[in-house]
Amino acid sequence: MPPFTLHHPESIEEAVETASKLIAQGDDFDWVAGGTDVVPNYKWRINPKPHVISLASIPEANQTSRYEIGCMTKLSSLTADNEVHPLIVEAASKIASSLIRKSATVGGNLCLDTRCFWYNQSEDWRRSIDWCHKADCGTGADCRVIPNQNTLCVATYQGDLAPNFMALGAEVTLIGPDGKRVMPLEEFYQLDGMKKNVLQRGEFMLKVTLPKDAYDYEGSYQKLRLRESWDFPEAGISAAWKKGDYSSLRIASTALESIPKTHDDQVSEFVSAWEKGATISKLSDAIRKSVKPVNNTALPPNYRRSVVRILAKRALNNIGCE
Amino acid sequence: MSAGYRQQPGNSSSKRTDGKRIAGKQVFPPPGSGGSRPQMKERDLDYIPESVGGKEPQPAGSHIHDRIRTGTVVGKSLSLVDSNAKVTGQAWYGDDVRLPNETIGKILRSPHHYAKIKSIDTSRVEALPGVIAVATGQDASNSFGVLPVTKDEHAMAVEKVRHMGDLVACVCAESEAIAIEALSLFDIEWEELEPVFDRKMGLEDVDEPIHWRGKYHLSRTNVQKRVFQEFGDRSLVENAHASSHGKWSMEGVHHGFTEPHAVVAHWDPNGRLQLYTPQQVPHYTHRALSTVLDVPMHQINVIRTFVGGGFGGKSDPFPHEMCAAILARKSGRPVRITFDREEVYWINRGRHPSDIEVKMTADDIGRISGFDIDALIDGGGFASFGHVTSYYNGVLATAPYELGSFHYTGARVWTNKPASGAMRGHGAVNTRCAVEVGLDEMAEQMAVDPIDLRLANLLPPHSRTITGFRITSNGMREALEEVRNGSNWDKKFRQLPLGKGIGVGCGFFISGSGLPIHWDPNRFPHATVHIQVDMDGGVTVHTGAADIGQGSTTAVAQVVAEVLALPIEMIHVRSHESDTAPVDLGSYSSRVTFMNANAAIRAALEIREQILKAAWDILGYHPNTLVLNDRRIYYKHDPSIGVSYLKALHKAQEDKGSLIASGAYRSPPMGGVHKGAAAGLAPAYSFSAYVAEVDVDVELGLVKCTNVWAAHDCGKALNPLAVKGQIIGSCHMGLGQVLSEKMVYGRTGHLQNANLLEYKIPSVHEMPHVVPIIIESCDPEGPFGAKEAGEGPLLPILPAVVNAVYDAVGVRFRDLPLTPDIVYKGIERQRRALKLDDCLELPSPRLEHGPMQEVLVARAAEHKTRDKARQRTEDTSHYVNGVLFGFDPNIPLEDQVDGWRMATEPDPEQLAELGLAGKAWLKKTQREMGRD
Repeated sequence: MPPFTLHHPESIEEAVETASKLIAQGDDFDWVAGGTDVVPNYKWRINPKPHVISLASIPEANQTSRYEIGCMTKLSSLTADNEVHPLIVEAASKIASSLIRKSATVGGNLCLDTRCFWYNQSEDWRRSIDWCHKADCGTGADCRVIPNQNTLCVATYQGDLAPNFMALGAEVTLIGPDGKRVMPLEEFYQLDGMKKNVLQRGEFMLKVTLPKDAYDYEGSYQKLRLRESWDFPEAGISAAWKKGDYSSLRIASTALESIPKTHDDQVSEFVSAWEKGATISKLSDAIRKSVKPVNNTALPPNYRRSVVRILAKRALNNIGCE
Repeated sequence: MSAGYRQQPGNSSSKRTDGKRIAGKQVFPPPGSGGSRPQMKERDLDYIPESVGGKEPQPAGSHIHDRIRTGTVVGKSLSLVDSNAKVTGQAWYGDDVRLPNETIGKILRSPHHYAKIKSIDTSRVEALPGVIAVATGQDASNSFGVLPVTKDEHAMAVEKVRHMGDLVACVCAESEAIAIEALSLFDIEWEELEPVFDRKMGLEDVDEPIHWRGKYHLSRTNVQKRVFQEFGDRSLVENAHASSHGKWSMEGVHHGFTEPHAVVAHWDPNGRLQLYTPQQVPHYTHRALSTVLDVPMHQINVIRTFVGGGFGGKSDPFPHEMCAAILARKSGRPVRITFDREEVYWINRGRHPSDIEVKMTADDIGRISGFDIDALIDGGGFASFGHVTSYYNGVLATAPYELGSFHYTGARVWTNKPASGAMRGHGAVNTRCAVEVGLDEMAEQMAVDPIDLRLANLLPPHSRTITGFRITSNGMREALEEVRNGSNWDKKFRQLPLGKGIGVGCGFFISGSGLPIHWDPNRFPHATVHIQVDMDGGVTVHTGAADIGQGSTTAVAQVVAEVLALPIEMIHVRSHESDTAPVDLGSYSSRVTFMNANAAIRAALEIREQILKAAWDILGYHPNTLVLNDRRIYYKHDPSIGVSYLKALHKAQEDKGSLIASGAYRSPPMGGVHKGAAAGLAPAYSFSAYVAEVDVDVELGLVKCTNVWAAHDCGKALNPLAVKGQIIGSCHMGLGQVLSEKMVYGRTGHLQNANLLEYKIPSVHEMPHVVPIIIESCDPEGPFGAKEAGEGPLLPILPAVVNAVYDAVGVRFRDLPLTPDIVYKGIERQRRALKLDDCLELPSPRLEHGPMQEVLVARAAEHKTRDKARQRTEDTSHYVNGVLFGFDPNIPLEDQVDGWRMATEPDPEQLAELGLAGKAWLKKTQREMGRD
């Protein structure tokens, strides 16, 4: 593990101040919440930084209510007992393993680093392929998944919570040196496996907020994975609606591209003239066509793309769409 | 008897009457005791065989060891003797060894798949403060290898590296951080060579073969070993009534043990090497260290730490063990090297990625007339156990069935990938899967039940296989019957709805390898065990058997406890150090229980004899009339006349002090004389039959195994709990290979998933409900009748699942693992072929029994009677493979049948029709080409 200095700010202000100071000094740093994503990456020396700022001691990040979930909330506490939305409970229960869920957090899952066969490897391994675009170690290396394109990183976002929060219309609150920003979750992600999201340097995610009508929504999350424990999603589809109200239907997907995304376009195309049975098949197919997985996870991309249709169909069936 | 015999020191008069101990006071319990139990236990007749007056049923007949059964521990479920150390975290594994003043070693690994090292400059490494010693291949140029015929490894690359991650140099430093930093300071000039990744390309001539075998090298290919075997009457293959032809592609899998490799080396003040390593086979490491370091073996002490799982992956002598010793010698300080998980995959030795082709035929009365196997296996960069694997892929598939003819071509090639080696079920797993699926397919063509097809074609107990293996006990039939009943097979097979399936598979495995690799079995035994009993009555057993979690220490302790009728707490097994342990071949080829327990029984019998003789002196009754039971020896006809174990022991020790005995095991002469006859030869064989039930998500292609009925013939379960553990564990490991595990090599030849997240070992959620069923066929030569239970139980789960998937969706899969993408593709292909809109409309396979069914059932019933008589040695006539086809077992088959083949090289006219691996026979060796 490369050595780093760990900072423990105890308030939002102190966190921003710590970050600003490091920026001013020209020091690079990472935020850390539960550490289940950052620490393994550091061990493999994947873009390690000399400073790490922990969000663990910030009171606001640890607060959770029915509508506001702080970024430090442990995945293991997203339970029905804590009055969390059933869709979020379902999604959280499918993440990694029960042991990891005791450490991993909501914020960490939403800000999960993108993953790739050519990237999530040890330093020796990556050196032997002359690095890759995402962690090029100053060499300007090409992408190893799709060679001869040097502009976009196609590493896959494999978080489970994001599509579900999107389907419920959640917003995120970001805190940074320039103040506070609030935006819908789908706007938080930015298409590039390296950039991943809109977070500016020194900015961090404080909490997720569900809209007032979120609890009117019923949802289902379909996660494709080889094993029912540990595995990141190979594809994930979330669907939610106010039961019986087709116009409220929202579908979002994950693990198929560099960012999770909503499928409002496909939904709106079919939802106005809903035809029992036939529409589900058309809609599922449209969603399949709208995603472009690449070959950098455990299962081949053509398969992952093919079964998006099935996952979407099952998610819709589960919530009573017919 | 008087008041009793008082043991010195101590006084039992201060004993509490409520049976509890007095805190802080060391009181010797009453004479002859070995624990806090003051009274002798009654003889446990439930665990004493019927043949000697007990109540233990013996359906398979009596056994030579029945007479020495005391009802103490054999056959009882015990927790393993080392389990307390493990569950309390006190077991010391490789990396737990911390010697004072240690340094940390790290290994520099090759970034290239295949390259020559033109120069290595270590000056910058040596200059780094905190670096203690540096070593490169030049420091140890002697080669070593697990098999004497293929010594192709070095401590570090001498001239070239053969796969990415191959060892190049090593360094030890004051801390791990310094050692890691030092790795970046080596200046190396490389000359990259053209790598070979595809095993099919390994058969072709190249400029620079990965290894060079001089005049034995096959042309300029990368073929390490080729095998040809043909037995039987090939004319039977013609006019086949049913046939199956399948080409399989199987990915490489890794053992996935929990503990990564670790080693600590230290040269003690007398200049002797002390090496701590979690090894399955410490003796091979011992030999290799001696060779590589140029130090006689007696100047090396190999200390086996607890082993955190081995499964074959810790049975080679490893280069990092040499590195640690070299660095420790250079630095004069202890060196500890512990692998990252990635390094574990780079050293590999997992199951060979394979291309396997199986052709089978059956004749008009459902006999298996032809059995052709071609196996091309990918050995990676080194030989390891590969020489043997090349044979095992063929010969271990020849039983439990009686065959008309057998034809095998195999080849193992080197590629620029981490070396494959031995893994649980060594060499037998992949072809077994292909063969059992082939049988299923033939059964379908004949419209018969696949279990009945098997039951009508089994070799009986006390027979010979087509290649000449000597079968002794054989519980195959019973195993099949048990799983058939347990699973309610007759109500389910071919009757379940789409997506649900049930399948069967059998297994056959060696119980110990008949030939000790390093010596002539006629000149030195396979296993030796020493026993020492001192005045305290405790029994110290010295054995080299390496407990890798399978329970070998417990097995040895159990048989000694059984013979001496002592509580198992009084048996202390010392098996960690080569200084004190007699030479032993270690834990591989499922040999330990069979061989070590046999040796331990012999040693214990010697001790027993001495104690009984002393009891004779005291009691005046001949040992034949004395009974050993729970720390007491008494007269058979009047139990009140007796003497405590301790008193008899002390009498026996009068003149010579502690009692010492040595026992050894040597396998009987057996097997044929053809080339390769020793491969797969074993003093006994285990048999197993599994039925698996699966749920297939037809739309997604996800397969979930839900239930397994697993019957394994282990001869006699010395410890049923441990046997069940092995069966369930084997199911888990086999399920990994059939459903999710594979070593993924990407387009650049790099291993893409060298970690436990992406290398998909099934989690607890994927584990089916396993019903372990123990079959006891009571092997005549096994210790108390026991045979192996560690590897064989893995074999049947693969074909059982593949056959069950067919039953569920009607598609035959021949690519392992059955990841959902493979299954999805197969189902989609079928859907399109049947012109269906939705895969949920696929028809499920159904079975309407054909006329052959009755023939097979009748033959199976007949054979059942035959087998029972042979098993109980009521029928001791000769039986060789071929009797089913009408041949006389008392006349050599080649004298009876025109064209009976027994060949280990192809005829020239056969060359054109050989399979993929058989193509290796188209090449000539350098010697044949007139060069060397």
